Amino acid sequence: MRLGRVIGRVTLSQAVPSLQGARWLIVSPLGRDDLSARPGAAAVSREPSLVVYDDLGGAPGDLIGFVEGREAAMPFEQPTPVDAINGALISNVYYHPMP
Amino acid sequence: MMLARTEGSVISTRKHPSFEGWRLAICQPIGAAGQPEGTPVVALDPLGAGLHQRVVVSTDGLAARQAVKDPRSPARMMIVAIVDEPSPAADPARPRGEIA
Repeated sequence: MRLGRVIGRVTLSQAVPSLQGARWLIVSPLGRDDLSARPGAAAVSREPSLVVYDDLGGAPGDLIGFVEGREAAMPFEQPTPVDAINGALISNVYYHPMP
Repeated sequence: MMLARTEGSVISTRKHPSFEGWRLAICQPIGAAGQPEGTPVVALDPLGAGLHQRVVVSTDGLAARQAVKDPRSPARMMIVAIVDEPSPAADPARPRGEIA
């Protein structure tokens, strides 16, 4: 998992059948500097943002842990073209970077 | 697998059911000299690694799914080893662990 800030949503008009009804979030991954920044700092990091499948109910502003790669499609019964999924809504972060 | 240093942990109340009960450690991938490389990742921690300890993080999804005992888990990153060092966060340039 990587940590990311939800910065928006995506709504689809057409989708392959296995993705009907899915919720999508736009997520800005947190780099080293963003994790140690105080709350309220810039919402969008320098990392490229990505679209993440969400079945946990993430909303803009939330901090989430998202999984990338083949593993993101594992929770689905049928083959599903997903390569990033929301794995956890993060409520607390204890981060102490090495100086 | 990658070399990393644990730099904290996260608490999550709403998560994939397979992560229930697991410690989720923030791991910063590092190079041989200990310099940070890339963005931090959150890994399952079955070993209880200490803060700033060097660890080996596996990126193998199959191993992680077997560890959480859920074939449908999206788990991927998992701490699989703790690196021997004289003290947590030891500097390889000072092998006996003395402080600068």
